[in-house]
Amino acid sequence: MERHHNSAMRTPLNSVAVQRRSKTKSYRLSYRSGIGAASRLGFTPGLTARRLNTSRKAPKSNKITEKVTKEQLALLVKTEWKLSYVTPLYQFRHTQLKSYSRQLSAFIAAEKQQGLAVDVEGTQNHFRVSFSLVQEMTESVDDAVTVLIQIHSKPLIARQDEPQRPVWSGWLTCINGNPEYLRSLPKDFICLPLFCSSEAGGLTSLVKSWFQQSFDCCFGPLEISHTSLQWLMALWTNCQPESSIRQLKMIWTLPVEPQLQVTYTVDAEDAWQLWSSVRKENTAGEGEENSIDIEEVMSFMQGLKGHFFRHFRLDLSAGRLNEVSTALGSAKHSGRIKFSNSKYMITTLMLLTECALLKMPI
Amino acid sequence: MDESKKRLVQRLIRRIPTKMLKTTLEKWGHLTGEQQRAMDSIQSKWALTESLLAICEENELAVKHLTKLEMIYMMDNPDQGMWYAFQLTDPGDDAQSVDLMQFKEQFKSHLRELVRQVSVKIKKHTDEAVWIRIAWGDTYSRPDHLKPTYVVHYLQTPYVFVTRLTSKQKPMLFQAMILSTRYQYSKDANLSGRNLTAIRDLLMRKYQQVFPIKYPSPLTERKQTVTNPHVEREQAKPAANRLQMACEAFGGGTLPQLQSAVYKLETKFRDHTNTLMMEREEPFRCVVKFSSTNLLESLKNCASSGIASTPVTPLLSSITLKGKNYFVITDNGPGPSSQMRQTQN
Repeated sequence: MERHHNSAMRTPLNSVAVQRRSKTKSYRLSYRSGIGAASRLGFTPGLTARRLNTSRKAPKSNKITEKVTKEQLALLVKTEWKLSYVTPLYQFRHTQLKSYSRQLSAFIAAEKQQGLAVDVEGTQNHFRVSFSLVQEMTESVDDAVTVLIQIHSKPLIARQDEPQRPVWSGWLTCINGNPEYLRSLPKDFICLPLFCSSEAGGLTSLVKSWFQQSFDCCFGPLEISHTSLQWLMALWTNCQPESSIRQLKMIWTLPVEPQLQVTYTVDAEDAWQLWSSVRKENTAGEGEENSIDIEEVMSFMQGLKGHFFRHFRLDLSAGRLNEVSTALGSAKHSGRIKFSNSKYMITTLMLLTECALLKMPI
Repeated sequence: MDESKKRLVQRLIRRIPTKMLKTTLEKWGHLTGEQQRAMDSIQSKWALTESLLAICEENELAVKHLTKLEMIYMMDNPDQGMWYAFQLTDPGDDAQSVDLMQFKEQFKSHLRELVRQVSVKIKKHTDEAVWIRIAWGDTYSRPDHLKPTYVVHYLQTPYVFVTRLTSKQKPMLFQAMILSTRYQYSKDANLSGRNLTAIRDLLMRKYQQVFPIKYPSPLTERKQTVTNPHVEREQAKPAANRLQMACEAFGGGTLPQLQSAVYKLETKFRDHTNTLMMEREEPFRCVVKFSSTNLLESLKNCASSGIASTPVTPLLSSITLKGKNYFVITDNGPGPSSQMRQTQN
């Protein structure tokens, strides 16, 4: 059986995978292409081509606002999340959330007792952890339901009038994950490859440690590659007719001494005009969404760089694109994302889930 | 004690770093030897505030003495806050012969005519700069010493540098300025930055300028990197040329420390491979901001390392040649933008 082979192959790989966290090379690694059992038997990480999808559907708005509750959405937008990838969780059950909440609280309390510094104001507080599900934030039937974790601090003197804001929150999600990969996982594994955490140093590492201990998984940093940043630029600009992006801002850094930062901000309408001018004539049928190809994205970027070059005779390719932002959100190369508008979150999350899955060691 | 005096003392102690306080107080000269020694021995800001308040009581010091202290500190440490450069234009016949005493009297009287309640202090700095501190009030309130405007002007030059100024205060300040300096108009020089010395040096060309010369000179590269001798020999001439052109555009030696330059582009999108965009009538609007701890140094290195093509485009070299760091570039604009019509890709 395939599954049998997989679980046998899986165990020695984790140690190898941990080393291969190099920044750009991992995106070229092998992604299963559904050839069949033969490709999965031998562990050949570098051979078959594995890369981001070269074409994507244009983003649709507001599916998410219809289904996910307002309170939960409010927690997810307007915060800058730090991204990591997670390997599949062993024996994680969506039905045991209450128990997990208690276990994580206890774990944090125990670590604090041991003297691990937790950088939150009022260190005498106890922490209350709550796990919850964000129902309906999935795209395909194979996606596992998103899990949201919040940590509140419980002051010793309870103050009723103060609304409890979490001191830390994080969520695990899988949006439109590759179905072949998801179906190939053995029964006991749940795949929620994208982990978003609000920065709070100590608490993030505690939560990660607990997950690693409890579900035999592995966390790693997820950077947003140049290609993904370009995708986001194009996908967000594509939304301009429906919902104004206000401006398209790119931040580049050039490798000179002292470092030069270039902030290139394009008006929303002009960015949209340039983007539509590079779209190919699409012969999609009635009612079908047009898909966007990587070539169009790259032409868009070339157009922007060319306009810059014609004025300053300075080639932006010599530098690095660090950040992209519009009124819909912002993304940083270092692995940080912010959703400013919940309407187009799903498409962005689809892209990020793909990036996270590319980092999977198998 | 007067509330406003107290707040002024608090503000001063907060702003002046402890290590500068000693010299600033000495220059101020309103403390007895004993009081000075007492202040020197205190470390905490709170204690310093209390001590200075007590001394003010003892020596019967007024607000004007405290503003003098602030001015001494600002004159010695001008490279903080934001400074904006302005230029006076159309000088009258006697603009060059305005002397300091004349300027002082006239400026004070003109400003007092325009603004009923205003407190003006004028001092001359060692480097010929005239420093003016203005605390603004209006018909109903006394001058606000917590939000002063500092103005620096070099007599015999048309340049004026100003710190914070509201849109109401600006016309009055410049009216007084042009009347007392015998110019006709004032305009925004489109140059701003944190270092007064840097923007002054840039505008008044007080940095090491490098001029084009007929024969390439042996300007030495500062960083010596170890490379293949063949490559070095081949690259020596192009590298020397790039460095020469970079220095011509931005200057040699230590460059004035600018933090940013902003270009508002309103030019058409000219890319022959993209016919749809070429047909557009409207300009492609975007804003480009360059920032760095030392912008001119960064740009010079871009040019000398080849990241920016040489000869340096007029858009970038205008920063030094025109002494500006805010530009609006249109297709009809002078010089730089019309040259941008070359559609290289």
